[in-house]
Amino acid sequence: MMIKFFLRVFFLCVVSALALPSYAQSGAGADPRSLIDALSKADFGEAEKLIGQLAATGDARLVPALNAFSEGDLYFRKSDNLVFIGKSAGSNYELIDPVTGASAGQAAKNAVTKIKINNSLRRVIRSAMGGLTLLSPDRGVRLQAADAVLRSPSAENLELLETAISKETDGEVKARMVEARAVSLLSSDRSVDEKRAAIQTIKNYGGRNAIGILMGASASLDPSLKADVDAAIASIESGQRLWDIGQNVWYGVSLGSVLLLAAIGLAITFGVMGIINMAHGEMVMLGAYSTFVVQQVIRDSAPGLFDWSLAIALPVAFLVTGAVGFVIERGVIRFLYGRPLETLLATWGVSLILQQTIRSIFGPTNQEVGNPSWMSGSFPVGGMTITWNRMWIIAFSLSIFVALLVVMKKSSFGLNMRAVTQNRRMASSMGIKTPWVDAFTFALGSGIAGIAGVALSQIDNVSPNLGQSYIIDSFMVVVFGGVGNLWGTLVGALSLGVLNKFLEPSVGAVLGKILVLVLIILFIQKRPRGLFALKGRAVEA
Amino acid sequence: MISGFVFRALEGRIVAAVGILLAIGILVPALNLLTPPDSALHIPTYVMSLFGKYLCYALLALALDLVWGYCGILSLGHGAFFALGGYAMGMYLMRQIGSRGVYGNPILPDFMVFLNWKELPWFWYGFDWFVFAMVMVLVVPGLLAFVFGWFAFRSRVNGVYLSIITQAMTYALLLAFFRNDMGFGGNNGLTDFKDILGFSVQADGTRAVLFFMSALMLSLCLILASAIVRSKFGKVLVGVRDAESRVRFLGFRVENIKLFTFVVSAMMAGIAGALFVPQVGIINPGEFAPANSIEVVVWTAVGGRGTLIGPIIGAILVNGGKSFFTGAFPEIWLFALGGLFIAVTLFLPKGIVGTIQHGFKARKALKAAAEAEKGRGGTETVAQAQAAE
Amino acid sequence: MNTISETRQKSLLYLENVSVSFDGFKALNSLSFVVEPGELRAIIGPNGAGKTTMMDIITGKTRPDTGTVLFEDTIDLTRQDEADIAQLGIGRKFQKPTVFESHTVWDNLELALNRSRGVFATLFYTLSPEDKARIEEILETIRMIHRKDEYAANLSHGQKQWLEIGMLLAQEPKLLLVDEPVAGMTDAETAETAVLLKEIAKTRSVVVVEHDMGFIRELGVKVTCLAEGSVLAEGSIDFVSNDPKVIENYLGR
Ligand SMILES: Nc1ncnc2c1ncn2[C@@H]1O[C@H](COP(=O)(O)OP(=O)(O)OP(=O)(O)O)[C@@H](O)[C@H]1O
Ligand SMILES: [Mg+2]
Repeated sequence: MMIKFFLRVFFLCVVSALALPSYAQSGAGADPRSLIDALSKADFGEAEKLIGQLAATGDARLVPALNAFSEGDLYFRKSDNLVFIGKSAGSNYELIDPVTGASAGQAAKNAVTKIKINNSLRRVIRSAMGGLTLLSPDRGVRLQAADAVLRSPSAENLELLETAISKETDGEVKARMVEARAVSLLSSDRSVDEKRAAIQTIKNYGGRNAIGILMGASASLDPSLKADVDAAIASIESGQRLWDIGQNVWYGVSLGSVLLLAAIGLAITFGVMGIINMAHGEMVMLGAYSTFVVQQVIRDSAPGLFDWSLAIALPVAFLVTGAVGFVIERGVIRFLYGRPLETLLATWGVSLILQQTIRSIFGPTNQEVGNPSWMSGSFPVGGMTITWNRMWIIAFSLSIFVALLVVMKKSSFGLNMRAVTQNRRMASSMGIKTPWVDAFTFALGSGIAGIAGVALSQIDNVSPNLGQSYIIDSFMVVVFGGVGNLWGTLVGALSLGVLNKFLEPSVGAVLGKILVLVLIILFIQKRPRGLFALKGRAVEA
Repeated sequence: MISGFVFRALEGRIVAAVGILLAIGILVPALNLLTPPDSALHIPTYVMSLFGKYLCYALLALALDLVWGYCGILSLGHGAFFALGGYAMGMYLMRQIGSRGVYGNPILPDFMVFLNWKELPWFWYGFDWFVFAMVMVLVVPGLLAFVFGWFAFRSRVNGVYLSIITQAMTYALLLAFFRNDMGFGGNNGLTDFKDILGFSVQADGTRAVLFFMSALMLSLCLILASAIVRSKFGKVLVGVRDAESRVRFLGFRVENIKLFTFVVSAMMAGIAGALFVPQVGIINPGEFAPANSIEVVVWTAVGGRGTLIGPIIGAILVNGGKSFFTGAFPEIWLFALGGLFIAVTLFLPKGIVGTIQHGFKARKALKAAAEAEKGRGGTETVAQAQAAE
Repeated sequence: MNTISETRQKSLLYLENVSVSFDGFKALNSLSFVVEPGELRAIIGPNGAGKTTMMDIITGKTRPDTGTVLFEDTIDLTRQDEADIAQLGIGRKFQKPTVFESHTVWDNLELALNRSRGVFATLFYTLSPEDKARIEEILETIRMIHRKDEYAANLSHGQKQWLEIGMLLAQEPKLLLVDEPVAGMTDAETAETAVLLKEIAKTRSVVVVEHDMGFIRELGVKVTCLAEGSVLAEGSIDFVSNDPKVIENYLGR
């Protein structure tokens, strides 16, 4: 075993030493095609070696083939033992050349044989692919490659990494590569001193993964390094604990911002106008479907605008749901003022109709809503990871909140709105057209729910039932925060979000949610009017 | 005292309704069992079970009417009491399977064996005993209603807030019952029942008895509800609905009044659930879904809340409609139900029975007024005549 | 000091230094106020003076921030809730008439009757001949015998006020708090109400809040004027209505 390992390392060193100078011209050394074809007769052990050799070619064109191999899509033709990537096409396979990616015709299913794969091979493939792309001219690909190596480090990649590091100019990519090198180095046969330095490097990067890596490596490391490893782990852990709390808060704030988004429209229709709008969730759903339709149109007619699709969807969703809200208010709700429980029933009816309408038009299944490029990916902040979409959603919900606050407090519409909700008769005798204010207030609340739908389409399944999953949470937030108080909604949403995320690790997601519900029920007993209650006689009636 | 209580309940309409219910309760099983399958009068077993299901829903709607129609508490969580009653019955039926399950374990229900549980959780003890299970059908929903109501009514949570937290209650239970480690079969629930009191749940005879029991329990609960609302307590209840503070300042303990009604109503819902489960053959967490509870509100509203008989009619009509639509035009059902919600709240706020009653009352009042007018008019004309002379 | 402890000996209702504020707004400000057994007392004061709030405090609807509220010298009303206080014998008519609109006049009175109010007692209650006689007696008093089967919703505003007073009578309270009983009544009805209240006050203490000075004059009893949450003046109607502070704060406007 040991001997085999050393042999392999030696062999690899030689191969890569030979291969390295000619990377740029691609694929000298062993011919990749023949290496791949050799897979047809290799057992798992040999295949592992071949993959190492393929990696050593440094030929990035091999990535699809390796990928196909790990997916189980690599076949060899029985007649000539040539290897191809196979795609199922009816009763045949469409064959693709593993190196050039050119089509190589079709073959009957029984004319080819799948090349066997197992999980340990997959791991080798993953690191090989990482290595192959480390030298790509594309910065994004290199970064991904470094990440891939980091996730499945192996000593084989070490030289490749070092070459890549020496050539790398981009700071971020280089840092990632250095980290990957340090991790790979631990499992290599380098000197103790080098390893000690690597431990330091890993320690400095920190993070939960680093602990795992160090723990995993510590068994095979030289005993003299044990103290270093323990010290590094201890130091990372103490730093990590704070980061963990930070990460939890972040998750909590992120969940809270989703709740805020879902609830903020309700804070107007329910909180300010006192309408129990059970169709609120459907407004969110309509907003999400508006996004879907906008993206559909963009895909068909102007694919270049895709990154702008959300920005375009925002006003569309606002207008669509605002208009629907307007119609609902004029058609149903205005007959029911002062009868909150009846409003609840009627709007529930509206929600059923809206759901079924959407189901009839778009079908009951989930619709695919894409993330624009600026919404995907993530970036690390110290020991925590922050994804862009969550980041944007938090920013977005807070800006809606602020905008709404400004509208309510500063604009004349906001003033009229508050006047009408506080004293309808007085307002109307002062010349405010109360029916229109009602209708537009409701439309505003609905429109905001629609905007929320645009954002939520990015993180949730867009289906006719989308709204149902938010309605109870939204009511909880508004009731918990205190009806008629936008700040209450903000604080309510964020604290429920954070509470949820802090309960989750210890009791699990579902039980956490149940606990939160029970806590809210108990809380309402203590403060029937919520966190920030409006006081006064008006609310007692 | 008690006889007065019951006697008051038996007012004309209630007697008629009970009579009809019992007649149905006897006639339908009789037509099912005694006529040959090819006879025109024969009622197939599945139809009988379907109607039995409607009767259970009717009982659930009646229970809701007691709290909503008379006491003004719009519970959006009555489905939870129904489901708990159903689970209590389901647990009994599970224990009756014995070693006939797929895994053949004489004690543990299949899903527990599947989850590798070694022994029966403590809360399953006793459910193999019918009497105990039936007591639990009442006690479990009643206890939940008591605890929930104790907190909610003392701190005077009412109106919309109460509705929303009842909804949260059933939602929390929904989530809880979906969990496998709750010990109630997770999202599959309890099913594959074999027999009840030694009779096969599939047998026509058992089905007939279950149908009759549904009609009987509905009748008894109707009489009980009628006795409650026609007593002085019932008048206080309506007082709480219309002017809660007046009732308080008259010296009544409103929280006790609400609590009592809520618990009685929850128990009725529990009975409905318990009769429902053997007739449909399954109980799963879906019954806790908030949407179900809201649907009960529609049945009640359609039939006419605060009329006792209305909700029964409403439940049967709406569910009949549902069975028809989902069979014939599945697309349209939600449109129809949604439209019904809106139409009833806008155009028929008193519901079917309430509107009819109101019409009668108005006619009577009109007649009485006309008669009074005639009487007075008579004397007046005499007086005028005299004055003219 | 001496006088206070003396008044404490025989008062039916005793408020001392009662203050309550809503969001910083002081609705009652060190209010002190005493009602003797058998007394009929009128309270006047501008809008927002705290008259209704005082009743809220006495009947347990609102809790005072500070101060003492005693009933019959011994019972601390701040520790009791509305139902307890009602059962102790304090009845209250609201500023806005509050009767059970979907019940008949008769049923309204039957519910108000001072009988055991427990759940089971009411479930199994049957109308006894004495109760029937008592209700008929009250119907006579409030002059509604011919309307006993009418739904309360169909009554006029003034009739609802009377029905509410009738309900309070049925409650047999020791102390009756009446908030603006003649608002919305014709002059004739107002005069009749004054007679009725005087009649009622023969057997119990009554506190009447009113803005109608004619009505107060007709009652001819001791008057307390509240303003901004405390007592401005107290005494006979002539004394109070000549008090310069009262004129400035209330009458003069
Ligand atoms: N629950 C409450 N919350 C907030 N403010 C209140 C509350 N109750 C009373 N107030 C305020 O306290 C003040 C006193 O009110 P109160 O109703 O006692 O006046 P009043 O003397 O009865 O007036 P009116 O003659 O108009 O009936 C008013 O300014 C009122 O707005
Ligand atoms: Mg007042």
